Amino acid sequence: MNDKKKIVLAEDNSTLSLLLKFRLEKEGYEILIAADGKEAIEKIEQHNPDLILTDIMMPFVSGLEVISYVRNELKIQTPIIVFSAAGQEEMVLKAFNLGANDFMGKPFSPNELVIRIKRILG
Amino acid sequence: MNKFQVFFNYFDREPIIIQLVWMLSCLLFVAIIVLIIYIKFLRKHLRDKEELIAKFSEKNELLLITYLYAENEEGGVSSEQQIVINKLKRGIANKFKREIIVSSLLKLRNEISGEMAEAIQDLYAQITLKNFALAKLKNKKWDRIAAGIRELTLFHVKDAHDEVIKHVSHPKKEVRKEVQLYLVSLFNFDGLIFLNDLKTPLSEWDQIQFLGELQKIENQQIPDISLWLKSTNDYVVIFALKLAKIYNQFEMKDVLIELLSHKSEKVRSELFLVLSHLYIVEAKDILKNNFSERDKEDQLAFFELLDNLADNNDEDFIVEHTHHENFEIKLLALKILKNLNIDKFRSFDLIPPESEFVKIIKFLENN
Repeated sequence: MNDKKKIVLAEDNSTLSLLLKFRLEKEGYEILIAADGKEAIEKIEQHNPDLILTDIMMPFVSGLEVISYVRNELKIQTPIIVFSAAGQEEMVLKAFNLGANDFMGKPFSPNELVIRIKRILG
Repeated sequence: MNKFQVFFNYFDREPIIIQLVWMLSCLLFVAIIVLIIYIKFLRKHLRDKEELIAKFSEKNELLLITYLYAENEEGGVSSEQQIVINKLKRGIANKFKREIIVSSLLKLRNEISGEMAEAIQDLYAQITLKNFALAKLKNKKWDRIAAGIRELTLFHVKDAHDEVIKHVSHPKKEVRKEVQLYLVSLFNFDGLIFLNDLKTPLSEWDQIQFLGELQKIENQQIPDISLWLKSTNDYVVIFALKLAKIYNQFEMKDVLIELLSHKSEKVRSELFLVLSHLYIVEAKDILKNNFSERDKEDQLAFFELLDNLADNNDEDFIVEHTHHENFEIKLLALKILKNLNIDKFRSFDLIPPESEFVKIIKFLENN
């Protein structure tokens, strides 16, 4: 039985997604990549992940809408880490109000992300 | 008689206007068909190009990730990394492929920091992309020059300084801005040297970007800004005033006081904010002495400054202006007086003044 912890990664920058996928798979996690918010919601519903990593600005459905859907529609308490760019401080506050657990400002270090994920998932 | 003959006979018999309408209809019909074919062809071409870009980008991304995770423990380039470098080097000869490689590198460079960001910069240098960016600097088109400088900035190519600086006085403001950003981003406070001879304007947005870049650096040791405070370019003076405020340049006190007589209203307006922030009380006496000679904006700005810096020595001056003709100055004078000497402020209750004055007093008493 696959006992790897599942992480949904919603990020529209394909290069960054691939980089994080390699890094996190090396740490023993199973990564499900979503290129936009819509795909992220589908993957969350389908796989019930242990953690969600989401960018705020994404096509079709934004990261904020993903958080809102997870907390208010699916009503699940899966930890969520938000990625934000400089100048999106207001968005980060909104993300926390909607139920995000942590955030990382871009540009960020993949090593730091791994540390935060380990802290959350144990 | 075949069908065409029938049609042409009919056409010949019709009046000229009907013939013209027929001809126009035929022309439009042909044009629509040609356009539909062209659009179909264009759509196919764009889709093919998009597919090609996606395919090549995907291949590149994999190479890039392989490079980043194939680091040699002892430092230096590992054999796996060298294979990636060789493959990418072969690709950069082609302009189309080169642009995709640069875009992939940038996409990642902007999103991550730390060792990996440095590794991307190393890769940029290893595959000699710098030479292509430098070649853009010799292009006749200004947008290519600007793009070249931006690329050198984003990949932190410091040794292109001498080539970039040649464009510091470029007639196009977009190029000048890229040069300035290159200098500030890569050389921090030392890069601000371009301000010494700047003759052109600096927009508010440019200034915000420079300050943003400067705040990212660890060493916040600011150089002597007196030269910029004395500049003949008002934009440089305003920017230097912002630096003086952010970096608490109290040692610039004398130069700042000299600026009280600056001809530009915008400079003086920014100056009052700096004087108030740095608590330069010496400016108060100078301003009190020539208060009546100053324009309304300066007078109001001075009272805003007094709102922060006033002490008991200023009381008489403030009382003198509690009946100033300008409403905002009058309001500020009374507000400052209330904070300085509440008994004196309350004594105004006993005076039977005009109704507006009473309203201000009541408002301040309740707030």
